[in-house]
Amino acid sequence: MAYVGRVFRPGVTLTLRASATSPIDASALPLDQFVELDEAAIAKLEVRIAYQSVPLGDIFVVRGGHSASVRVDGALTHVHGLGTNLATGELAIEGSVGDRVGAGMTGGRIYVAGSVGDDAGIAMRGGVLEVDGDAGDRLGAAGPGGRRGMTGGEIVVRGSVGAEAGTRSRRGLIVIGGSTGANLARDIIAGTAVVFGRVGPEPGRGNKRGTIIATGGIDIPATYRLACTFEPPFVRLLMTYLVRQFDMTVGDDVVSGRFRRHCGDAGVPGRGEILEWVRA
Amino acid sequence: MEIRGVAIEDTFAEAFGMRAVRVIITAVSLRWAREAALKMTGFATSIIGCRCEAAVEREFPPSETPDSRPGVSVLLFTMNSEDLGERLIERIGQTVLTCPTTSCFDGLPESPDRVAAGRALRAFGDGFQISKILGGRRYWRVPVMDGEFLLEETFGIQKRAIGGGNFLILAEDAVHALAAAEAAVAAIAGMPGVILPFPGGIARSGSKVGARTYSNMIASTNDAYCPTLTPLTDSKVPRGVNAVLEIVLDGLSAEAIAAAMRVGIDAACRPGVVAISAGNYGGKLGPYQFHLSDVIAGRPMERSR
Repeated sequence: MAYVGRVFRPGVTLTLRASATSPIDASALPLDQFVELDEAAIAKLEVRIAYQSVPLGDIFVVRGGHSASVRVDGALTHVHGLGTNLATGELAIEGSVGDRVGAGMTGGRIYVAGSVGDDAGIAMRGGVLEVDGDAGDRLGAAGPGGRRGMTGGEIVVRGSVGAEAGTRSRRGLIVIGGSTGANLARDIIAGTAVVFGRVGPEPGRGNKRGTIIATGGIDIPATYRLACTFEPPFVRLLMTYLVRQFDMTVGDDVVSGRFRRHCGDAGVPGRGEILEWVRA
Repeated sequence: MEIRGVAIEDTFAEAFGMRAVRVIITAVSLRWAREAALKMTGFATSIIGCRCEAAVEREFPPSETPDSRPGVSVLLFTMNSEDLGERLIERIGQTVLTCPTTSCFDGLPESPDRVAAGRALRAFGDGFQISKILGGRRYWRVPVMDGEFLLEETFGIQKRAIGGGNFLILAEDAVHALAAAEAAVAAIAGMPGVILPFPGGIARSGSKVGARTYSNMIASTNDAYCPTLTPLTDSKVPRGVNAVLEIVLDGLSAEAIAAAMRVGIDAACRPGVVAISAGNYGGKLGPYQFHLSDVIAGRPMERSR
């Protein structure tokens, strides 16, 4: 497999032995430490199933060791928390996976060939999370009880996402190739959310200094005021970056396009903005 | 040594260490990127009087710039990193920020040494500026009257840059000297990592360190290469030579300067040119010596001290 600009050569492969019916919590797996561990030591690490700790080797076939490049494959939709707090290295997930992928990650890179569940990239602080499919609710949002969503890093979802993406985020970039559910970037402090599909209801509520870039249609809330229509140089830079770094397909009419700048949210009051693409 | 009948003197160009940045200016068209770059590099021929040396390095098609617009790269040199920051703030602030449609990016992103010129210039936004981070690099969106000025927060510093690479074109007359110098400049134009900071890439007023007559002068005319003074000074102008022009080069590395000197000297060796020499100051000026024979042979340059 390969993801944009890179050839991925896993040094460790974890293959799920059988399709799981109970949730598997892999959030405690120290993927960063795999570089120091051999195959046997990795197999002895523990994951949790139904409140019990189980050796990783009982659940996954472990191949390889001493590598920061990890591939996970199998029917993974019941596997949650993969890549939690990842700081370095690369994790490639072959297929769809459960909730909380990349939660709290501070660095490194996670690539998911399928879709992800809820809470992917919550409270993320750095690194890159790239998803080929869809994502559930609260992508890049604040964790349970958390005051802040993602504070750094980049999330790229090529499909659509659920509700509350980017809630309370401060810094960081969320890119969504498809559409979004309700409440995109609610209470966003800063940071940027780019949506190429249709933006769901109530975007940018409580926006303080964040940016929503919408190219596929958005209903501007009444608490935003139109400033002007212009060609934002940053959008041009951003779109070029997405094309070159993530191989995203962005039309020249968007890269060099004109955008309406709506300032808000007046209810906070905030200095945020919604940049709405104007079809030529 | 000779190239097409032109004597290559057995001497060396003496150069000195500098600090440098590469600034990439993009705009809606190449015309406007050039306008900004030309203003930014104005009055920047010599560190002696201009406090920096700068010139356009090359032009870029949209496919090679960060924002997919036409662009121009500028190299700017000073003697230390502090000066580099001050000059960048002055020049970007007065010439690129003011120029319609431009954006400004770091051209040395891999450098660990940084100067935060964008961080200072963001204040022009009077609190309305917006910070964005992309790929680990921070940019500032500064509101201006045609929309926004986008610039990178920090610029990478090349701490091993070199200033003062040079060669002299000794010709039968001024017409042939200028034609040879123009050919050299054309050959060097667009080479990566090197600039020619003087007007049109050519200097006619080569200098020596200090002065004979005036003790307060940092530099004065290089009388040894002034054809009008041959009977009056310890002249190095050969018989039959009536005009001398100098090509001065600043580069991000010794290799870049040597490569450009090699190409430029070769282009300058044409009818009407008697010899190629180089300016050195007996080791008073700097630690880098570009021996013409080594440069032409493509041998690696060694730091003299």
